[in-house]
Amino acid sequence: MNTLEFQKVTFSYSSRSFLDQLSFSLAAGELVGLMGPNGAGKSTILKLAAGLLSPQKGDVMVGDKAIGTYSGKERAKQIAYLPQTLDLQAPFRVGELVRMGEYPHEGGQAISVDEALHIVGLHHKVHKFLAELSGGERRRAYIAMTLVQGAKVLLLDEPLASLDIKYQFDLFHLLKEIAREKGVSVLMSLHDIGMGAILDRLLLAKDGRLVTQGEPALVLTDEIVQDTYDLNGSISTYMRTSRTFCRTLAVAGA
Amino acid sequence: MKPGNGSRLFVASILCAASVCIIIASIASGPRFLNPFSMDVETCRTLLAIRLPRTAVALLMGGALGASGAILQGIFRNPLADPYILGISSGASLAASFGLMFGISLFTLSVPILAFCGAIATGAAVVLLGRGWNGLQPERLLLAGVGIGFFLSALLLLVMTLSVDDGLKRALLWMSGDLSMVDWELLPVGLCFILTGLALALSRRQGLNALTLGDDIAHSLGFNPTRERFFLFIAASLMTAAAVSMGGVVGFIGLVVPHVVRRHVGSDASVVLPLSVVAGGTLLCLADAVGRTVAAPLELPAGVIAALIGSPYFIFLLGQKKGA
Repeated sequence: MNTLEFQKVTFSYSSRSFLDQLSFSLAAGELVGLMGPNGAGKSTILKLAAGLLSPQKGDVMVGDKAIGTYSGKERAKQIAYLPQTLDLQAPFRVGELVRMGEYPHEGGQAISVDEALHIVGLHHKVHKFLAELSGGERRRAYIAMTLVQGAKVLLLDEPLASLDIKYQFDLFHLLKEIAREKGVSVLMSLHDIGMGAILDRLLLAKDGRLVTQGEPALVLTDEIVQDTYDLNGSISTYMRTSRTFCRTLAVAGA
Repeated sequence: MKPGNGSRLFVASILCAASVCIIIASIASGPRFLNPFSMDVETCRTLLAIRLPRTAVALLMGGALGASGAILQGIFRNPLADPYILGISSGASLAASFGLMFGISLFTLSVPILAFCGAIATGAAVVLLGRGWNGLQPERLLLAGVGIGFFLSALLLLVMTLSVDDGLKRALLWMSGDLSMVDWELLPVGLCFILTGLALALSRRQGLNALTLGDDIAHSLGFNPTRERFFLFIAASLMTAAAVSMGGVVGFIGLVVPHVVRRHVGSDASVVLPLSVVAGGTLLCLADAVGRTVAAPLELPAGVIAALIGSPYFIFLLGQKKGA
């Protein structure tokens, strides 16, 4: 069953069409990457999916309804969005932040604050201020908030940016666990080709349209990547090395 | 599971106990010491006519300013935001000072009513100018507030240069927080607006927490950031307008009290808002009591004393290593 579906979505910031007739879908429990060069429209796609922007044409369907037809609270139970720039210095304790995920619920949320903190491995830091955590831990705290929120779709705008390789893999394993165990669909934008290679599926965007989508091995070919990113010269060694590196670490950490 | 509930309760208890002690001390202190537990007719008259209304107004004003500061720092995500950065106090001061300096005193409440109208009109102008293409934006609101504030301050200086001497002195006192003219008549309207603003803010406390994380996260949590910001801005404006109309411009409390409260109890608005009311009210009450006692019969402005008492403690807190 699809948890999120773009149906011929067209969007423009001004008179110029930015996204043109974009269609794709996410299945429950899928971990999907959204890749493409800067300016390809990745953040715009995520904001449309989150309901922060409204398409001029087409529909963004969440569950069986268009996202614009949900009330705020109902939408929050379906879909959660974490922007690229999180306020990592927000003056809250970890527990306070995670408890904000309860807001859309009148009690009876699927995952308790305690459980969410255990899932992300921050149960022992509940009283810590966010500013006292590492960058990776802070992102985990925000993800715990979305778990309490109970969203079936988790949208992440470049969550791996500015994290070292250990935290990148920690986050990858956490997202994979959430997708597999809780059935949450995860759509994340990213730039790292190696990390993209270990996701379930990839969407590759350029100039506001999807170049291709599918399994990473079929999307991240030398030719497609060279064309999409306008690269000259051979990139096969780089592609092979980064894919192998990330796959090895992913298996080792799993 | 709620983090730090025990320590919050402890801080709240200490604060409330300190508040009660300071209220009693405030009622007792002044040019003439009154023993609230042993009263004669004269003492009772002074208490009812002067000390009690003055203490009540100081508590209300300080509380309103503390809560307004907590709201504005949250919705603007700016630690320097306070009730005066939005120009609301400048609007109130201009209108009130205009009345004071040009002798517009048709009835007792003329000046507070003028101040209140000035504050509300300025707040409305800031909201109108703060609207961007996608609703109320914190940066635009802040810039509109600062711009309007500077403009109104300039007008105020202009009016002061044209004023008569007695009015000028009273206007200057007003601008530094003047509680010497307080009586019971000011209380009902001020109390009504402050309670309305506080109730509105408390009903939006979850939105305030979410806005502190940024508009995108607030939206993701199911809030409409523009709507939440609008209601919270109205709440802060109501409380600021009421505070300024009752006793003039008292700086410092709205800026610093919420920070001090957060240092002790975290940033959850459902705790910060009520405790900022108590802490702000207590500080202004203490400042006013000190201001009318230390150099009696001369009265020192409560705003100045509040800053002199509060700043060293705030600087001490900044020197402490803590996460928030």
